[in-house]
Amino acid sequence: MRARRRTPMLLGAALVVAMAMVAAPSARAWTYREAARPYAGQAITVLDEITPLQETMKTLVPEFVKETGIKVDYQLLNHFEVISRGQADMLSGRGAYDAVMLHSPQMGLLLQADVIRPIDDLLARKELTNPALDLDDLIQPAWDSLAKFRGKTYGLLNWNYNVIYWARGDLLSHQGEKAAFKQRYGYELGPARTLQQMRDLAEFFTRKKGETLAGQTLQSDFYGVVLEGIKGGTTFWTVWTAFIRNFGGDILDAEGRPTIDRPENVAAVKLWADLWKFSPPGQAEYSLIDVPTVMGSGIAAQTLAWSDFVLGIDRPGKSKFAGKFVYAGSPANARAPQTRSAETEPSMIVISRHSKRPEATYLFLQWMVDKATQQRLFQAAGGAGVPIRQSTWNLPVVKQSPFAGLYAAMQESLRYGRAKPRAPKIFEIMDVMSGLVQEIALGRKTAEQGLKEGQEKVLAICKQCTL
Amino acid sequence: MAVAAGALVVVFPVLWMATMAFKPEAVMFARPPVWRFPPTLEHFDYVLAHGFLGNLVTSLVVAVVSTALVVVIGTPAAYAFARFPIRRRDDLLLFVLATRMAPPVALVIPFYLIYARVGLLDTYLGLILAYLTFNLSFYIWVLWSFCRELPVELEEAARADGYGRGQVLVRVVLPLLKPGIIATAVLCFIFAWNEFLFAFMLGGKAVETLPVAVPKLITSQGVKWGELAIVGLVALLPVLAVVFVLQRHIVRGLTMGAVKG
Amino acid sequence: MLFPYALIAPALLALVAVALVPFLYTVWLSAHEMQYARVGDFAGLANYRALLGSARFWHSVWISTLFIALAVPLEFALGLLGALVLHRGVRLRAILVPVLFVPSMMAPIVVAILWKIMLAGSWGLLSYNVLERFGLLEGTSVLASPDLALYALVAIDVWQWTPFVMLALFAGLQSLPATPYRAAAVDGATAWQTFRRLTVPLMTPLMAVVVLLRLIDAFKVFDTIFLLTGGGPGSSTESVSLFAYKTVFDFWDLGTATACAVVIWVMFFVFSNVFYQAARRLLGAF
Repeated sequence: MRARRRTPMLLGAALVVAMAMVAAPSARAWTYREAARPYAGQAITVLDEITPLQETMKTLVPEFVKETGIKVDYQLLNHFEVISRGQADMLSGRGAYDAVMLHSPQMGLLLQADVIRPIDDLLARKELTNPALDLDDLIQPAWDSLAKFRGKTYGLLNWNYNVIYWARGDLLSHQGEKAAFKQRYGYELGPARTLQQMRDLAEFFTRKKGETLAGQTLQSDFYGVVLEGIKGGTTFWTVWTAFIRNFGGDILDAEGRPTIDRPENVAAVKLWADLWKFSPPGQAEYSLIDVPTVMGSGIAAQTLAWSDFVLGIDRPGKSKFAGKFVYAGSPANARAPQTRSAETEPSMIVISRHSKRPEATYLFLQWMVDKATQQRLFQAAGGAGVPIRQSTWNLPVVKQSPFAGLYAAMQESLRYGRAKPRAPKIFEIMDVMSGLVQEIALGRKTAEQGLKEGQEKVLAICKQCTL
Repeated sequence: MAVAAGALVVVFPVLWMATMAFKPEAVMFARPPVWRFPPTLEHFDYVLAHGFLGNLVTSLVVAVVSTALVVVIGTPAAYAFARFPIRRRDDLLLFVLATRMAPPVALVIPFYLIYARVGLLDTYLGLILAYLTFNLSFYIWVLWSFCRELPVELEEAARADGYGRGQVLVRVVLPLLKPGIIATAVLCFIFAWNEFLFAFMLGGKAVETLPVAVPKLITSQGVKWGELAIVGLVALLPVLAVVFVLQRHIVRGLTMGAVKG
Repeated sequence: MLFPYALIAPALLALVAVALVPFLYTVWLSAHEMQYARVGDFAGLANYRALLGSARFWHSVWISTLFIALAVPLEFALGLLGALVLHRGVRLRAILVPVLFVPSMMAPIVVAILWKIMLAGSWGLLSYNVLERFGLLEGTSVLASPDLALYALVAIDVWQWTPFVMLALFAGLQSLPATPYRAAAVDGATAWQTFRRLTVPLMTPLMAVVVLLRLIDAFKVFDTIFLLTGGGPGSSTESVSLFAYKTVFDFWDLGTATACAVVIWVMFFVFSNVFYQAARRLLGAF
């Protein structure tokens, strides 16, 4: 352990020396203050999404303003509003925002509409770009799959949302439950490593009111699993990347043609729909916000959830079960571990074509992903965040964080997560498909019927869907 | 009995929402639901600390100013339609009515695109102008039905006394019309106060009305039900006040003057 | 004789600016190829052909039709019943009447909050006490069920608008002439005969107008659906209004969306005309 920990430190020391040597010939070191001198006094408006991550970032923004003299109106809106308003602003040519946060699926539409300003020219300008920006440190494949397209770079990696496996550790380590589980399923009870294990756990822990759970008599029904089930939202994204792709399936082929009703997809959706038998009533209404709330309230044993929302729940005072949760990377498919995939949503803030202050905006976006800012971000949030840089995993504040287990899970999920394909009509596809899988989960359609219908409907939207 | 039961069905959800405003988080989702609990003011603290007062003020400003504008522009028009022979009057009135009937969703599309080009998105002026579409036509239409009930003799007498037509309007007609103006204007206020879609799409950070601010209570840490209940109650207050004061005119307003109430 | 025109001019100019101009602009856009918000070549009726060829559009028309066909008759029947009861005299009428006004004046956002609270899965007051207890709800909540969500929205619309129908018809009943009723009483007519022979014919014009208004409003309904289900689950509650909204603000298919807006608009112009003529002929109003 000791020897291991020393390596990054040594590396860090070497890096500092190396940088000092590189910087030595120039008159003075690069600073944001210097770089921003021509743009001081400019006012920029940046639209970002509201999650605990950005709420913390917002507290740091005044430091940038103070240092550079660039006034930043850093606006936060919820997930759906940031998409609808951000897109509307860029597409309509309104230009109220200099930069807008994008989730990867939005790329297809916005690239086709040609409203994103690439940043290659800005990256190449020495006076504007921090020599220590170290872009190779950004987590991959998230950044490349998100931001680079046909030889151009459209942004930096600003946020790195990812779905992890989340369970009640107190239940998984209960001696009585462990013995009963082993007897019934023939293997040790623990966080599910595969989707099939997840189903076993879901079945095992689903109990009625009055039955016993971990030695306690239940006052109300308890559910083996909770999932996002709402139409829209990220329901189908998760079905797609955390289930279908793990089965070797996909909804578009390499040329971007719809392949919704492939047998692999059917098998994956069946497993997903099967989990609904062990879920709370009303799950079809649960959004990505409700799922962590339900986990926090203690009526479900496990879930797949967006890790940034976990950070808001697994805290003393927020949930009775804070500190008792365990995490793991998004589960694999036991039958095809080689096609492992996880739901992640690498996101970036892009500069709008309509922005009249691209340099000032670029400086701000660069500052957001700067190593120093990222470190401050994790410190300010008490060691809570979602890393966008490889080096962040090794920060002391992260390593010693109470969320160390969660970070290990994130790191595993992020290894298998890619940006969504650039399909301009992807939201229409998601809309159709989330409705259909919901109907499959609720037993109104079989997986075969539903996906066949999906194939027809998606073909009516686009025959060749990607750019 | 039947009507009393009906009234209970109407009132009950409102009362239940009111209890939620004072309910501690711990019993908010209790199964079975609880009626008795130690009341808390924590939800009020949250609402006050998160800028909802600002949204309240925005809502008031938009509703009051747009209503005032409607009264100023609409009153002379309603009077003229009722009193004078105007060429193609029926066609014009039908145009006014159709404007009122148009579904907001069909209107908000061009509004958004036009506003994006001329810079009226997220401005008070923009939202107030947009509210003219439904409120001005509504106001003219309903006030017109009030105007036709005015006895023409008084105006003729005033004219005989040497009043000009403008003076007749200001000195004679307006005082007589006051109850109708107030009743109709108050309804316009309520429509503006309640409006969601325009405010949602055409507003923004600078102009954020109370209904549009509600989604802010769906936070990354869950839905703030107690706070939601408070905002719901506040949004309901002017409606309750108006209902008790104005009841008879509401039927007239909601039937576009077809029922005298 | 310029005076009257001077009085109506500001209002008409304002309405031209906020209604006619947006309408004409929409018509113009709908006749062009739209690449997101960029206006391309003249496209004639191509956007309309795309709209009318879209299964999703027709599905939304069906949902709207279903919504109206369920909600309006219910509102009318319950409203008429309530109005008759109210008319016969009820204790505390002075308090009941204003209470009944509340739902129809309520902001859609408040209606949405109220019913979300009532119908939320597992802890919603109605879900828990009624639907779940009587086994009407299995493994889902009403608004999350593709089978039930539309009925729930219909029920909410009925909750919101029945009192209005009731009060409008009540106002009509109150203003009926007393003489024919006295004559009928002298002739020894039964209550049913009086209702069939006197009340119904006398009230028909008003009923027609009230129903027409409800039809128009029910077709327009957007806010509560948008806030409560967003058109889901599946597309089980996606009305025409919601289809138009999503086509623009979610999918940015402005060609189809503007064509849809124009279709809706023309339909409502026809509706208003019918309402106008009906109210005028039948009620002698206007």
